[in-house]
Amino acid sequence: MAKKSILHMFDPMPNNSPFDVNMALDCDFDVLMPYANVKLDSIHRLTQDVIFSRGPAGVKKTGIFIGGRDIGLAVDMLNTAKQAMFPPFQVSAFADPSGAFTTAAALVACVEKELQKNNNQKELKDCKVLVFGGTGPVGIATGVIASLAGADTTLVDHISEGTAQDLASEYNRRFDCHLSGAVSTYDEDKIKLIADVDLIFCTAKAGIQILSAEVLSHAKQLKVVGDVNAVPPAGIAGVGINDFGTPLANTNAVAVGPLAVGNIKYKVQHELLCSMLAGDKPVYLDFRNAYTMAQSLLK
Amino acid sequence: MSKPFILHMFTTAKNLSPFDVNMALDAGWISAVPYINVEPSEVAGLVQDVIFSRSPKGLKNTGIFIGGRDTKQAMDMLKTAKNSMFKPFTVSVFSDPSGAFTTAAAMVAIVEDELKLKFDTNFENKTVLVLGGTGPVGQAASVLAAQAGANVRMIGRQLDKTQRIADMCSQEFGDNKITIAAGLDSEKSQYIEDADIIFSVGAAGIQLLNAEQIKSAKQLKVVTDVNAVPPSGVEGLDAFFNGSAIESSTSGAIGIGALAIGNIKYQVQSLLLKKMIDNEDPIYLHFEHAFEMARQYIQSKK
Repeated sequence: MAKKSILHMFDPMPNNSPFDVNMALDCDFDVLMPYANVKLDSIHRLTQDVIFSRGPAGVKKTGIFIGGRDIGLAVDMLNTAKQAMFPPFQVSAFADPSGAFTTAAALVACVEKELQKNNNQKELKDCKVLVFGGTGPVGIATGVIASLAGADTTLVDHISEGTAQDLASEYNRRFDCHLSGAVSTYDEDKIKLIADVDLIFCTAKAGIQILSAEVLSHAKQLKVVGDVNAVPPAGIAGVGINDFGTPLANTNAVAVGPLAVGNIKYKVQHELLCSMLAGDKPVYLDFRNAYTMAQSLLK
Repeated sequence: MSKPFILHMFTTAKNLSPFDVNMALDAGWISAVPYINVEPSEVAGLVQDVIFSRSPKGLKNTGIFIGGRDTKQAMDMLKTAKNSMFKPFTVSVFSDPSGAFTTAAAMVAIVEDELKLKFDTNFENKTVLVLGGTGPVGQAASVLAAQAGANVRMIGRQLDKTQRIADMCSQEFGDNKITIAAGLDSEKSQYIEDADIIFSVGAAGIQLLNAEQIKSAKQLKVVTDVNAVPPSGVEGLDAFFNGSAIESSTSGAIGIGALAIGNIKYQVQSLLLKKMIDNEDPIYLHFEHAFEMARQYIQSKK
């Protein structure tokens, strides 16, 4: 009898996300095993238990998914899992904490596509970028992806400049990128920040408007904005839920809305999960693979 | 290819009940995924993760089961889950904490059937005593009997606690349309004399009703006991009783034991889990739906 495919889902949180469970089963994994409250220390042992219990043929039908809310921890877990394995006892592993990697990858790739379409082949590396709500999981991942693509990127926190700068240096160290940190609590701060930026990402909490129409009118260089907030009001005033290259009122920019991003995110996560079972060789997937996948899906 | 059937199983306890897991997989769910130690405040977030990761078509093959030990919490979680969804992103939800809703539903439906069959009557205006009644099964059984028209008294060892739980049941589960009374266990003899029906739903291994008390009951018709572990909760009534006469009764009362109740409970839970899969529209199931299903099942077997 053919072995069933198994996805072992490691999560440092008290529970796995039902989102990831549905996605994984829809990618033809036969059996899911949730592991909650998993600590980094346990990853080595858990991974070895995964690989030694199925022969070299069985490991090809086995995968590890890493969730949680902390993207640094998720990447550490992914690296630890990878180090705990050796040929031929290797399984594919995919980190996507809170869906942050796939969401951020979809967001940056959608905005990049609009940038290229509307601005004479201008690239991310030529752009000045702000990430509002930049200190949450999706915001940090968005910043890291944009920065690694060469953009001059700043993570913006709504309360503390220290928090934003600390996170920027932590992730610069981790991923060899060049993030900065800034704070914007009041409209004056925001107006100052956005005056000369090309791209704005909004990954702030749902249901809160970060940039009003008035503030946006001061962004003279603005080319594209992307907003992942699906609960009204929009994080960036005037962004419609289905926008994809739609002109943004009070600016010369175009907007990418949450459903456009969500649609690509869903496809990226689906493709990456399926790729874990597809190839002959194990794959190790994080935000970089998610970004490449999002770009190719948008071609 | 159609999407696999996924049942997301939430519990406030530190483990799921293996009973519920077996039932779910045997009812046709392909994957039963546990979420443990779930705080009621986390339900909305979990439910939204459930609905946004599948298309409306895929959601027809998706469900949520709510376990745990606390009936009020399970009902609140059911409400929260329902309110966290919107059309067409909706899935069916079934709340059955500790299996109490299906157990109580099976017990009350069997009694209703016996009342009709052997005494040509129903629950209306009958006096019902629920011994050990403050637990999950006692709460749901009290509400179902009261909704069927009976005068229900919940019996417990502390009057203030019993009164509080009886009031909560009347208000929260009975929508304020019923009134469940409370009584002290040490004073139950006086209530037993006028009781028509007695549910014994206390902890396993504790006798709540003896032969002497049964003899004193002048109009007793049906006695049930959910306890399968000897000694039984009711003297002279063992787990295998299924409508047999209780020897000590002077009023011709019959007994229903744990296995008869358990058999119907099993069928009801299984049928509701299947209904979640088969129903075209999403359904939200609790003790009232379990009771309806138990009635239907009993009639269908005639």
